[in-house]
Amino acid sequence: MTVLEIKDVSIDFPTSRGVVHAVTDVSLSVPQGRRIGFIGESGSGKTTTALAAMRMLAAPGFVSAGEIHLNSLGKTDILKLNEEEMRRVRLRKIAYIPQGAMNSLNPVMRVEHQIWDGIIAHEGAVTQAELQRRSDAALEGVGLDPTIVGRLFPHELSGGMKQRVCIAIGVCLDPDLIIADEPTSALDVITQRHVMQTLREVQAKIGAGLILIGHDMGLMAQSVDDIAVLKKGELVEFGPTRQIIENPRHPYTKELISSVPLVGGESFLDPSAAPKAAGGDSATPLLELKGVSKRYGAVTALHPMSFRLDGAVPQIISIVGQSGSGKSTMGSLMLGFNAPSTGEVLFRGQDVYRQHAAEKLAFRKDVQAVFQDPYACFNPFYRVNHALKFPFERFGLSEGPDHTRAAMEDACRAVGLAPETVLNRYPHQLSGGQRQRLIVARALMLSPKLLIADEPVSMVDASLRATILKNIHDLKDQHGISILYITHDLATAYHVSDFVMVLYKGHVVEAGPPKEVIGDPQHAYTRLLIDSIPWPELDRDWGSADDARAALDKLAEVDRRPDTVYRGSVPGFELSQG
Amino acid sequence: MGRIPVSYLINRLITFMLTVFIAATLIWIIPRLSPVDPVDVMLGRMAAGGGSIENSDAILTQLRQSFGLDQPMIVQYLLYLKNTLTFDFGLSTASFPTPVASLIGNALPWTLGLMFISLIVTFIIGNLLGALMVWENTPKIWKVAIPSAMVFTAIPPLLSGLLLMYVFATQLRWFPLTGAYGLNVEPGWDWDFIVSVLHHGFLPALSIVIVTFGFWALGMRGLMITVQGEDYSVLAKAKGLRPRYILYRYMIRNAILPQVTAFALQIGGLVAGQVLVERIFAYPGMGKLLYDAILDQDFPVIQGVSFVIILMTALAVFLVDLIYPLIDPRIRHEM
Repeated sequence: MTVLEIKDVSIDFPTSRGVVHAVTDVSLSVPQGRRIGFIGESGSGKTTTALAAMRMLAAPGFVSAGEIHLNSLGKTDILKLNEEEMRRVRLRKIAYIPQGAMNSLNPVMRVEHQIWDGIIAHEGAVTQAELQRRSDAALEGVGLDPTIVGRLFPHELSGGMKQRVCIAIGVCLDPDLIIADEPTSALDVITQRHVMQTLREVQAKIGAGLILIGHDMGLMAQSVDDIAVLKKGELVEFGPTRQIIENPRHPYTKELISSVPLVGGESFLDPSAAPKAAGGDSATPLLELKGVSKRYGAVTALHPMSFRLDGAVPQIISIVGQSGSGKSTMGSLMLGFNAPSTGEVLFRGQDVYRQHAAEKLAFRKDVQAVFQDPYACFNPFYRVNHALKFPFERFGLSEGPDHTRAAMEDACRAVGLAPETVLNRYPHQLSGGQRQRLIVARALMLSPKLLIADEPVSMVDASLRATILKNIHDLKDQHGISILYITHDLATAYHVSDFVMVLYKGHVVEAGPPKEVIGDPQHAYTRLLIDSIPWPELDRDWGSADDARAALDKLAEVDRRPDTVYRGSVPGFELSQG
Repeated sequence: MGRIPVSYLINRLITFMLTVFIAATLIWIIPRLSPVDPVDVMLGRMAAGGGSIENSDAILTQLRQSFGLDQPMIVQYLLYLKNTLTFDFGLSTASFPTPVASLIGNALPWTLGLMFISLIVTFIIGNLLGALMVWENTPKIWKVAIPSAMVFTAIPPLLSGLLLMYVFATQLRWFPLTGAYGLNVEPGWDWDFIVSVLHHGFLPALSIVIVTFGFWALGMRGLMITVQGEDYSVLAKAKGLRPRYILYRYMIRNAILPQVTAFALQIGGLVAGQVLVERIFAYPGMGKLLYDAILDQDFPVIQGVSFVIILMTALAVFLVDLIYPLIDPRIRHEM
């Protein structure tokens, strides 16, 4: 039986520069109990289509053609309901699980109140005892202890717990359809698996249809029955998951599948390129950490660790771990933004946190950074030229306006951007991928010795990740720059790095060349990370909800034995715990 | 709600006391940097009023003694601290020998009454209008009317006061022109007096409200736009909650939090009053007292009023610090 039917829906956004057709002629139906995945890159119209079913399009968007039928409302087109009737459909008939797990709950209300207000809004007066009973049941259904979690405020929950609360809110009225908009995009792989399994479990229990919006083909393969592939507002392919994954017809679908980097799969890099020697004085290492640790109050973010990166031959060292593992703390210590609690960070023998102004200036030129959020890295008031030009001139590298201009154009071309299409633009006129590549170009212009890249590709579309990582990898081969690549994504670390350190709660638990550490993990935590990755291969089992829970219990065991498993070394890099 | 930890309480109390101490010290130092000698000023005033002055040197010495100006600086300072903390600000030089404390004691209730009521009214109206400017269900007519009303914010309170006086007191004769209560009533807790006070206070309060609500409305508008874009506001709508419930419990409830801090800071300024508003309405409050004291170079009164202003600000901030954890649960987490 069909729960929701979308018929020839088109959605337009009138803007001052003409009408943008966000969605064109999409037709699709969701059968009861079935899971449909909407996949596509940003701007493909996947979220817009789903929000149209909720009648929650962001202004000025509107449905310009088509009908949306909800079976339990008879033959009525939900686009014709009035506001009050539509309000009654939301949550009771169609539940929505939002993307931003971190911020989806009202920060000043207790968790159980946020389940109650939904019930009251649709059922009117309900006794306190009944509300309590139902919120307890909903929280239990997603594996949370209602006696504790119900009384907490959102800021007291972890990201995974918050998202499970959102699922509990979504299913408390037994809706016909659940729309989950990238429900795990803000979570690490281990938590992602747990939340996704929980969602599947409760959805199967109440027998609702599910629309899962996402961009990760691996996650789709492991989570849904049918996949709808959207590109620029059009439904380019729709079919059962197995057919889409194993026998994709549309070239765009093939592209989406191949853009998922696989551990052990074919490399997206050119393996023949030989790294250029950086030269320099090999007696003083480029970067050295001596017993560095960092505490924030009672919390130890990073336990004492030491390593030595010679830098004579450029290398890419990956630091992988979940959120809270201390990997970003390491990044900010190495950039001299934070003082270590113990030990010292030495760049060419100089303590990076205790430098004179002149030394600091030289250090800033030699050590560049690429951060996670390409949107926050530009000053919105200046054209992008400013971001490229200013450091170049400030560090005295410019020999005049023409030289600066030429350097900017060369840097753009080096990261695969046509200078005429990006320069002289404002940041908001460029896509996330273009901005992130400009940040790489900006770093490149200063010919640094070391680049610290903190999650450089986690916020850009999958198809662009490979390109940007290739740009970064080229920095090593063609410009002799050593790179510290901080990421939660093991598959990309596998491909780009020469050496991998797996960080867990501030300890290095496993370290060595990527083929060993990620290809054949020995430590329980590394294995868990690898097992939690959703693979775009149907025969590879992602485990059940119980497996995901058992995995979390296993982590507690790791807590007791945080020893490092050394898996070999590479010349020019030495690591020691303590 | 959970209890506020004692360490947090002690921390805030120490901050409060330190603020008051530093402020009291500054108030003592700053007038001493002024080249004007208050005793000379007083003598000058006597001379202007009463013709010639016999044995003026003796009077000078005696006055200096009575104000303690012949003592070493450190003694003067310690004596000042002791007196200030017991609310003994000495004697006014302009209306000698009335104690400053009794001048303030007479003026403070009027200002607190007028300003506190207008501040609360402004806070509620301003924030509500600011929120309505953003809410998607606000009738169109309101969305036009509210920004238009903001024009008043550009008018100086002095001018709006005169305008209101002209229209409502002189022309329509609905409200009395000046003063805090009528000449035909005796001060006391009886009905006639209270009605008279409210009647007299209406225009000054209104003149303050119409020029200051825009400050709150604009601030609230910005905060509401941020909150409207938050994921929890989107989820609230997706939950099918009633629009009014979302407006109050999700949007205003979160957007108001920074405004509460601003409210505390305003309370301090409130004691000084809208100096000019009190002046034109001849309202016997702190603003008028301060205004007259500055004109008369009446240092003890200026010191006393300044100290009371700072004490009130520090007290208001202290109280908001105590209340804040109750309205924003995230703060409790950090303490």
